[in-house]
Amino acid sequence: MTNIIKIENVWKTYDLGKIKLDVLKNISLEINQGDFAIILGPSGSGKSTLLNLISCLDVPTKGSIYFKGKNISEFSEDELAEVRGKDIGFVFQKFNLLPHLTALENVVLPTIFQGKSDKDSIDLAKSILANVGLEKRFNHRPTELSGGENQRVAIARSLINNPEVVVADEPTGNVDSKTGDKIMEILMNLNKKEGKTIIVVTHNNNQTKYGNRIIKIKDGEIVK
Amino acid sequence: MYWEYFKIAVKNLRVRPLRSWLTILGIVIGIFLVTTLMSLSEGLKNSIMGELQTMGGDLIIVMPGEDMFSGLMGGNDLTNADLNGIERTVGVETVISMPWGSEIVRYKNEAKTVLITGISFDKTMTLLKEDMGWETVEGDFPRTGRREILLGNLVAKSILPGIRVGDEVTIKGKRFYVSGYLRSLGNNQNDSMIMMDLEDYRTVTGKREGAPMTMAKVAPGFDVAEVVKNIEDSLEETRKRRVGEETPSFSVISSDTVSDMVSSIMGILQVAIFAFASIAIIVGGIGVTNTMFTSVNERTKEIGILKAVGAKRSDIVAIFLFESGIIGLIGGVLGVTLGVVASKGTEFVLAQLEQMFYLEAHISISLILFGIAFSFFVGCISGYFPAKKAAMLEPVDALRYE
Repeated sequence: MTNIIKIENVWKTYDLGKIKLDVLKNISLEINQGDFAIILGPSGSGKSTLLNLISCLDVPTKGSIYFKGKNISEFSEDELAEVRGKDIGFVFQKFNLLPHLTALENVVLPTIFQGKSDKDSIDLAKSILANVGLEKRFNHRPTELSGGENQRVAIARSLINNPEVVVADEPTGNVDSKTGDKIMEILMNLNKKEGKTIIVVTHNNNQTKYGNRIIKIKDGEIVK
Repeated sequence: MYWEYFKIAVKNLRVRPLRSWLTILGIVIGIFLVTTLMSLSEGLKNSIMGELQTMGGDLIIVMPGEDMFSGLMGGNDLTNADLNGIERTVGVETVISMPWGSEIVRYKNEAKTVLITGISFDKTMTLLKEDMGWETVEGDFPRTGRREILLGNLVAKSILPGIRVGDEVTIKGKRFYVSGYLRSLGNNQNDSMIMMDLEDYRTVTGKREGAPMTMAKVAPGFDVAEVVKNIEDSLEETRKRRVGEETPSFSVISSDTVSDMVSSIMGILQVAIFAFASIAIIVGGIGVTNTMFTSVNERTKEIGILKAVGAKRSDIVAIFLFESGIIGLIGGVLGVTLGVVASKGTEFVLAQLEQMFYLEAHISISLILFGIAFSFFVGCISGYFPAKKAAMLEPVDALRYE
């Protein structure tokens, strides 16, 4: 299997004035196409920082990150934005939906920055929302939806531009455990049926059952 | 794509309607001021210039007072001795004095206050017809001693509607007959006057002496500047003879000089008006900047989300510029609309007063377009720095913001 993401000797250091904080220390790792990778670690371990680097939201202090063979650690902010828009779908712990937009509008939002046509995007968004069981919630705003529903809207949004990789940062962190399982099942289906590469960050050991790759991280280092 | 940005921007503005409208109001005030003041000052300039243009370049205006403004403000009149002196000056062909005053005119059951002016028709007929372009639509000019009056175009049309040549009106208890009415003289003030023979005017009003100003026509072959000098000398002479009397000063100006003065003064006035109104627009623009900065701060997380789902810096800049541009545009449209209403309203109120001062608000398409384009431009400029700030946010930091 070919790797879709390759990380080589990556450091992430935060300069806090007098002290320098190494959040990630010399991390190297590969994620293959079609993987369901779980990044597991306690809070403060650097797992979210690692996910941010993988998903082009942030750049490493040292080291290289290759996304589909391209060294994205040298990319400009606009080039990174392009990768995020086209190849990566995001699911956040707190959903991060725009509160004044409806579910449908939230899902369509990423297509605007790809210059796609309105009509096609709306049809596609409707079918994706229906796939996650929200066919009756198109015109509801985030405040009118439950946590689980909001997270499913967020998953639908992450899929709208048909990315190869879906990253999820504690996607079950703000929902009850039963709903959390459903969310994880949706992600697992995306991985199995559509072949999407899924990367999930969690501190919950129970969720390791969904992944085929478990990456444990502690104090900024990968634990073997 | 831009249509989508526009929709996003409109939605954002509607999330906080009160703040958006208050920001728009800041722009409205500035544009309103520019539109109103520019259209009224342009109208004022046009009515003054229009009046001046009805005279030719070879007319000389003589007024009491230091300069033309104290003359216009009224006060001292030129005496009959002054007028006679001017008439006898070398190079003066005709002198036309048009003293005026408001009188109540009764026609049938109506009574209206109308501006009455006295003219020596017998002496000045050629001047009126050839130099000032007076022409009757119906009837003829008044004949001396016949108690006839000539109506300005608007008098016949709207001030005393239905009045016909030969009809009788009463002014201060004396009967007069309409001899004719004039084609429009190009400005409302002159068109709203009733003209009668100077002698009749003096009898009716009881003002036997002088005139507030007079105009002298330069005889052919004489240089205007030279005749101006002659008139000044002649007035000096006349006044020296009246020993012991207070001799107020006077001004002698050719109509070309007046036109030049008026247009340069009005030009300066308009620049000043524009400068002051611009300050109001700049203040409005600062309001837009302030609102946009606040908005960027509040929406930091939202900007992070947009970036996470693929928005480039230019996309973020575009969305915020659309917002501030829309604020400017709406402000401009409302400001221009209010400005047009206010200046037309001023014109209407002044017309209702039936006073001697008529003003037509001059609202040109270019003023309207300029007002709207300028406010849009101010909106965009004001939004630029906040938009840039939003675009430069790092996606991770923005997403972490609560």
